[in-house]
Amino acid sequence: MSNAIATAPRFETAVRVRKLGKRFGSKTAVEDLSLDIAPGAAFGFIGPNGAGKTTTFSMLAGYLRPTAGTIEVLGFAPHAVNTLRSRVGVLPQDALLPASDTVGEFLVHMARLQDLPKNEALAGAHDALAEVGGQAWWKQRCGSLSHGMAKRVALAQAFLGKPQLLLLDEPTAGLDPRVAYELRQIIKYRKGRTTIVISSHNLHELEELCDAAAILDRGRLVACGSMSELTAANEEIRVLVAPGTRRGAEPGRVPVQALRELPSVKSAELDDERLEIVVYFERAQVDAETVIGHVLRTLLDNQVRISGVTKGRGLERRVMEVRA
Amino acid sequence: MSPITEVALVTGREVRRSFRSTKGVLLAVLSVAAGAGFSMLFAWLDRVKRENLPPGTDWRAAQEQFFAQWYAPETGRALASCPYSLWMMLIATLWLAPWLVALMAFDAVSGEMQHRTVCFWTIRVRRPSYMIGKALGAWSAVVAVTLGMNLVVWAVTIALGPWPAANVIGWGARFFAVTLPISAAWCGIATLVGSQFKTPILSLLFICTAFFCLWLLRVTAGFAQAHWLAYAYPNTFDALLLSPNLADAARGLLSTGLIALATATAAALAFQRKDV
Repeated sequence: MSNAIATAPRFETAVRVRKLGKRFGSKTAVEDLSLDIAPGAAFGFIGPNGAGKTTTFSMLAGYLRPTAGTIEVLGFAPHAVNTLRSRVGVLPQDALLPASDTVGEFLVHMARLQDLPKNEALAGAHDALAEVGGQAWWKQRCGSLSHGMAKRVALAQAFLGKPQLLLLDEPTAGLDPRVAYELRQIIKYRKGRTTIVISSHNLHELEELCDAAAILDRGRLVACGSMSELTAANEEIRVLVAPGTRRGAEPGRVPVQALRELPSVKSAELDDERLEIVVYFERAQVDAETVIGHVLRTLLDNQVRISGVTKGRGLERRVMEVRA
Repeated sequence: MSPITEVALVTGREVRRSFRSTKGVLLAVLSVAAGAGFSMLFAWLDRVKRENLPPGTDWRAAQEQFFAQWYAPETGRALASCPYSLWMMLIATLWLAPWLVALMAFDAVSGEMQHRTVCFWTIRVRRPSYMIGKALGAWSAVVAVTLGMNLVVWAVTIALGPWPAANVIGWGARFFAVTLPISAAWCGIATLVGSQFKTPILSLLFICTAFFCLWLLRVTAGFAQAHWLAYAYPNTFDALLLSPNLADAARGLLSTGLIALATATAAALAFQRKDV
């Protein structure tokens, strides 16, 4: 897919990336990446291992220097620390907290480095820790925290100073489902007020949290757009039918021809192996919810037993389909 | 935020970290204990030497002759009235300085690079400020340990006599001041070398190798009659720093200061472009 198609429309941006590249010796980790992230958006970086997500993320955070291209974060280069220190919060992947510091000392020190006076830094640190539910850990040494607690403290330091942009690299990696769920709620709470960029393997999490995303594969951008564009949620619906259901016009069977004749439906197919009906429709003429209503009515009139309904093909399937 | 404020915050944290770690506490305790032990030994040796001097010997002249073997004649004359144990403590401190610096500072940067803890700092601190703060933090920690050692030595020397307290503290403070720029130079070198590696053990290995190479240059200088080469080893500047000639002392101070500044600056510039 050409990058001209993959690049989002230009407007005022929180993050602007143009022809970004990064090489480690002879290995190309990222090549010719261009994209824009709108202010206030929740944007995801998706891709398999080695796709270049963390490398791209690290260049946005200023950890790595690009070998080609440019990056603008809130209008500045990522290494403009003095300007960005209180505007950007970063949760780096796999970075250990300083073991000998207590949680409170660490957060206050981070707040002081954001040029906050001592009493404001103390108050800010308490607030950030409370936001992640960690008030009880103030005097605990960072080295003694569990993985989940450490992740929350690391998230708290990213929240210090009410940043305009949050860069979160694998925020829920390695966490148990309950803690991961709580962290997602904390991140969701900031949606709309802060630009959030998340790099993650967890596609369901990205689908839940993000408005838009970029799919990377082998260092190249292969797709970029809003979540509904990427998952074709406004172009197709999928209906799962009960095991044993066959195609046909008789009661209890899937009337594929009748589905094709529904208004605004472009095509309808039944995957006999997956027992999944895929209905493509004209998105300019009708929305997914209306099509769902028509399709279900037709199926129920024909006494078809239905297991589930989804809009689009799901991010997971989309990622599997996409290759550089 | 000004770079000076950044450096101050990083330095303060580094000193706290140094004395909170088991390694830091152990080094401090061992250094102070060693200082106490050595000072008692030197004070006893000093007393034995005095008691065994031939009758009628001018102690001051004997001291002057002794120091003339180590330093320029005018420095030897100036040191003639100093307590022998304090001078021995200065020599021991200078000998210990590179070891102490290597052990205190080897993991200051590499420890944070290894576990990516440095990622939390580089988004909030200018990279040069981080590196300068690390170098200053290491120096502050070494100075604190050295001061602790010296205070014990002064107390023991005063207690065991025969030197008056004012004499001990005066000379002690002067000798302590001589160690400051020299340990700063060692800290600069250790920070420059150690910060090139992401693994603390490699940092320690290469710091020790660098220090050893500098010592070899000093030894080579003696054999090759190339005395200028000896100044690659920071401890060599003690002769200039101890000189009663202000110009020599200033030259010693400037040179060691330049070594410290140049190495710390080189470390900062290298870190500026480094991928973390």
